[in-house]
Amino acid sequence: MITIFWAELKRQWIQQRRYALDSIAGILGIAVAFYGFFLTTKYAAGPAAQFGDRLDSIVVGYALWSLVTFIIADIAGGLQQEAFTGTLEQLFLSPFSPAKIFLTRALARLTVILVQIFGILLILMAVTGRFLSFTPTLLLPLVTVILGAFGIALAMGGLSLLVKQVQQILGFLPFGLFLAMLVPVETWEMPARLVGWLLPMTPGAGVLRELMARNQALDWGQLAIAFLNGGIYFAIGLALFKQAERIAKLRGRIGGY
Amino acid sequence: MQILEARNLKKFYREKGREVEAVRDVSLTLAAGEILAFLGPNGAGKTTSIKMIAGLIRPDDGWVRICDRDPHHQPQALKLLGAVLEGNRNVYWRYTPEENLEYFGVLRGMSQNAARKRAADLLERFNLAHKRRALVQSLSRGMQQKLAIAVSLMHQPSLLLLDEPTLGLDVEATEDVKRLVREIVQEGCAILLTTHQLAIAEELSNRVAIINKGEIVTEETTDELIRQFSGSAYVIETERPIDAERVRKLHLLGLECATSRTIHVADAPMLYQVLAILKPLPILQIQKDQANLTDVFLKLVRGDEA
Ligand SMILES: Nc1ncnc2c1ncn2[C@@H]1O[C@H](COP(=O)(O)OP(=O)(O)O)[C@@H](O)[C@H]1O
Ligand SMILES: [Mg+2]
Repeated sequence: MITIFWAELKRQWIQQRRYALDSIAGILGIAVAFYGFFLTTKYAAGPAAQFGDRLDSIVVGYALWSLVTFIIADIAGGLQQEAFTGTLEQLFLSPFSPAKIFLTRALARLTVILVQIFGILLILMAVTGRFLSFTPTLLLPLVTVILGAFGIALAMGGLSLLVKQVQQILGFLPFGLFLAMLVPVETWEMPARLVGWLLPMTPGAGVLRELMARNQALDWGQLAIAFLNGGIYFAIGLALFKQAERIAKLRGRIGGY
Repeated sequence: MQILEARNLKKFYREKGREVEAVRDVSLTLAAGEILAFLGPNGAGKTTSIKMIAGLIRPDDGWVRICDRDPHHQPQALKLLGAVLEGNRNVYWRYTPEENLEYFGVLRGMSQNAARKRAADLLERFNLAHKRRALVQSLSRGMQQKLAIAVSLMHQPSLLLLDEPTLGLDVEATEDVKRLVREIVQEGCAILLTTHQLAIAEELSNRVAIINKGEIVTEETTDELIRQFSGSAYVIETERPIDAERVRKLHLLGLECATSRTIHVADAPMLYQVLAILKPLPILQIQKDQANLTDVFLKLVRGDEA
């Protein structure tokens, strides 16, 4: 397991280095786009005193959103691409299960992306002049969000084994995720709040916002809910992927007949 | 030692409400050091059978064992198997041969170190060492195919499945692949090979299985199959035209000259009677009517359609 992780990390590293311009352009592009977004929002809202909190929340939500979208598009899109070119079957010939390979891959990808996102955050903080607080406890809610993201990525990956036009669905995904990452459920009142707990990754994103943007202490109750949410989405995603794999093998669809 | 055993494999696909009987009944066995040529017309079910053996397609019925292990339920069975599948890409084009070999080696359960060593060996053996740092997409089709074979051999499998390994290769690359296949089998690997180039199958294989419309129609050793389909007839060709007197004598034996210098003879006893008549005419050649795999294949597959 560790060995495949290193092999995947090496692959990612080679890819990043070989297509370094793409990666750097990607990071700069996201940073610039966000800066534009920041300026327009600031203009629209006027110089309101209350704005600081909200803006920080948006920065956190935005960073999370790009992370999650990246992971999901990367796994599902990558899987489809490999089915199309033919390497997917070689992956399925491994004694390691495909779910394991794709999760390890996602983890390696995540490691690389986290480094990049961190870079984006540093740029954003320098540009906006707002500094977010970083503490090790941040990792806990982050893990819950990533669990949820992996779950959705696995489900989408499974879907792409069965449906050829998964790209269209992936196209809509960012909007849905944008909502899930940015709705401030932590401020909602009770009945609505319950719904918020069910949305994918939303509770974890909420906890992160409280920690990073509002400098509040970690609410263990909220964190437990976030873990439950992430764990359930992950388990469902994994089950869906395994089911999709089974069906693809029955229909002779791996490798894209 | 029996490496592969596949029994009564069956696979029906449902496509647009219609049922396609891709594989109706396929049983194959393969021992160490053996090459089985798996032949059949397009759409006969070769690729589907191979993928069922590789655990990529779940059979509707029947079972597969690789060294007594079931690739559909025991992932360890996959360690005993390597496959180069039909189509052009079994490797990553945006990586180098070296990177591909090491990556897939680890994916087949090797340690990073073992994978690195084995990759270096294989690159050397497959004449790819000078291209080990070039991107795969920049290699020739022949080199890409050789790399795909090398990748499938990284973990030293007991069974190698090659689906159309020479498709689209030029003469030189085809010869290369043939040489490699011979070498690999000499090391004790069992190889299942499909190809449309029957001459290659005839040259390489110990045994032949012919599949038509999802069913195996023949399975024999290659030599025996060719012997069976070769007639007992001979063709005699003389250097100079056969004169009228001899033509008359041959006619009494019930033989007609095909041209003024060739004559077809049904069997060996008759051959000597004919030679007695022809004596002392100079003979250019006497040839036994020898079938090749193409004749056999066409007879079996066409015969089935009739
Ligand atoms: N995944 C699939 N879904 C539906 N039909 C298929 C699928 N794969 C193969 N077939 C059909 O099954 C038959 C056998 O195909 P295949 O095994 O690829 O034959 P071969 O490799 O001998 O050319 C063909 O008629 C093909 O169209
Ligand atoms: Mg085929």
